[in-house]
Amino acid sequence: MNNSIPRIVRRANRIRRLRPEQIQQSYRCFSCSIRHAQQQTPRPDESPRTTHFGFETVAESLKQSKVAEVFSSVASSYDTMNDLMSLGIHRLWKDHFVSSINPGLNPLIHTPSPSSSSTSAPTDPLRILDIAGGTGDIAFRILDYTTTIHNDSTSHVTVADINPSMLSEGQKRASKSPYANTGRIDFIEANAEQLSTIPSNSIDIYTVAFGIRNFTSIPTALREAHRVLKPGGLFACLEFSKVQNPVFDAVYKRWSFGAIPLIGQVVAGDRDSYQYLVESIERFPKQEEFSRMIGEAGFLIPGGGGKEGEKGGWEDLSGGIAAIHKGIKPAGSGIAAVGGGSV
Amino acid sequence: MALPSRILRPFHLPSHLRTIPTCARLYHSYDHPPAPPYAPAEQAILSAAITHIPEHGFTQTSLSRGAQDAGYLPVSTNLFPSGVFDLVLFYLVQRRLGLGDAIATEGLDRVWEERKVGVGGRVRGLVLDRLRMNARFGVVGRWQEALAIMAQPSYIPASTTELWRLSDEIWFLAGDTSVDTSWYTKRASLSAIYAAAEVFQTQDSSAEFRDTERFLDERLGDLRKVGGTVGAVGEWVGYTASSAVNVLRSKGVRI
Repeated sequence: MNNSIPRIVRRANRIRRLRPEQIQQSYRCFSCSIRHAQQQTPRPDESPRTTHFGFETVAESLKQSKVAEVFSSVASSYDTMNDLMSLGIHRLWKDHFVSSINPGLNPLIHTPSPSSSSTSAPTDPLRILDIAGGTGDIAFRILDYTTTIHNDSTSHVTVADINPSMLSEGQKRASKSPYANTGRIDFIEANAEQLSTIPSNSIDIYTVAFGIRNFTSIPTALREAHRVLKPGGLFACLEFSKVQNPVFDAVYKRWSFGAIPLIGQVVAGDRDSYQYLVESIERFPKQEEFSRMIGEAGFLIPGGGGKEGEKGGWEDLSGGIAAIHKGIKPAGSGIAAVGGGSV
Repeated sequence: MALPSRILRPFHLPSHLRTIPTCARLYHSYDHPPAPPYAPAEQAILSAAITHIPEHGFTQTSLSRGAQDAGYLPVSTNLFPSGVFDLVLFYLVQRRLGLGDAIATEGLDRVWEERKVGVGGRVRGLVLDRLRMNARFGVVGRWQEALAIMAQPSYIPASTTELWRLSDEIWFLAGDTSVDTSWYTKRASLSAIYAAAEVFQTQDSSAEFRDTERFLDERLGDLRKVGGTVGAVGEWVGYTASSAVNVLRSKGVRI
């Protein structure tokens, strides 16, 4: 009986450490207001806009460099760590992600047939932009898929990442892959919120796998995706999400908050980066909310068109640990209609 | 005493849940036209894809061709989470809704009134109409593909629901107003007959599907026979039971 009291206190402490902002606002009394006043960090005047970095709140200008720090430090052990943390399942998720997009134009099907004059210029090679895809995980899978499934050897993938150390990992792998000298893959260093090197309406497929939660402003990135995509182009996002089953969620939380930072410490020698990883997963919007954000950026949400009883717009993987979200840029919405939510 | 006010307070949903489901209506309304079941972009792509079915069948190819015709890209077919099955379902929904339009445009109502066609005859006419649509849109030769897709386990619930809706639509348009359990049995038996007739149609090589028409007439005849027999048996059981009770009562048993 004596043991139970300190355990409760310990748990309460742990919860307070995990969710400081929610505890602060949960009830109002004098003691809380003192603690609140003490913990509130003075915001720098020149950048009043803040965003979250894991469970911390940081100025928007700082997040980018902090994320850069994290990924520079994990770049070399990135793949080993992914395998250990997800027990190898991330490979299945990525495979499924690519096959659900079904990229590739079969040259036998998509040659312009003389009978149908309206099929205009489908022979342009498919242009794919893989954002935050530094190590090329998604890019190589897409190229494999287009080549082997659709017999399409023209599709082109541009891998964009903000982090040079992740990109150099990808370039190393590209030079050993069969696509090394085919000119079908290239790497650019770019910020997903300002893809200034990529012209508007030029991309068929925009993919971002396990990257979007690190962006400083997700709505800005979504609007930028809307800009670069051709009308009818596909925005596809694979990201960690909210586990739907509460029992499984409890087990999963144990694993992610208990085991993952520990694995990071032992294998990569970097606990903080992996602590950030699990915290950023926790902070990322839920399926419904993220789907709504995609809609607000001006995309059509698949399956939301009215078939009743069907939750639209995303597919849960492994019970919701990860989810695939998609959006289609409406045709005839050229450049003018950027951002349906900017009203 | 705070309880009533809590009950009476309007029920507030979070805004993202408050969107009205567009096609969840489970009844026929005379006052409000039903909302279009598909969003404009989906409607455009799928309608264009249907024109490619005779050539390419119920395949991804038809879908991507349709997307291109509608001004979209082949990759835009990601708009359909179930892929080809969405095309099949779209075809079924469109043809089902087309039945009502056909009545309006062809003035079938008046013809039925003049010739004094009963509900049974109207049902027969509507089923035949629906089967002829398959021929008109050139999908008869491809329908086995669609059946194979619909038979995939994950699609069976949606397919059977659509079949039920079709038979409900047919009975409704035929003017059936039953409010007893026969409401269910009528729809269930018509679903079975329609599904069988459609499968028969895929292998029918006779001119203008005469054999399918004959097959349908025989099945409807069977239904009438079975329905009559069940009714007669029920009547007999009811009569016998009540006479038995009366006989026992006359012997002084307190029932």
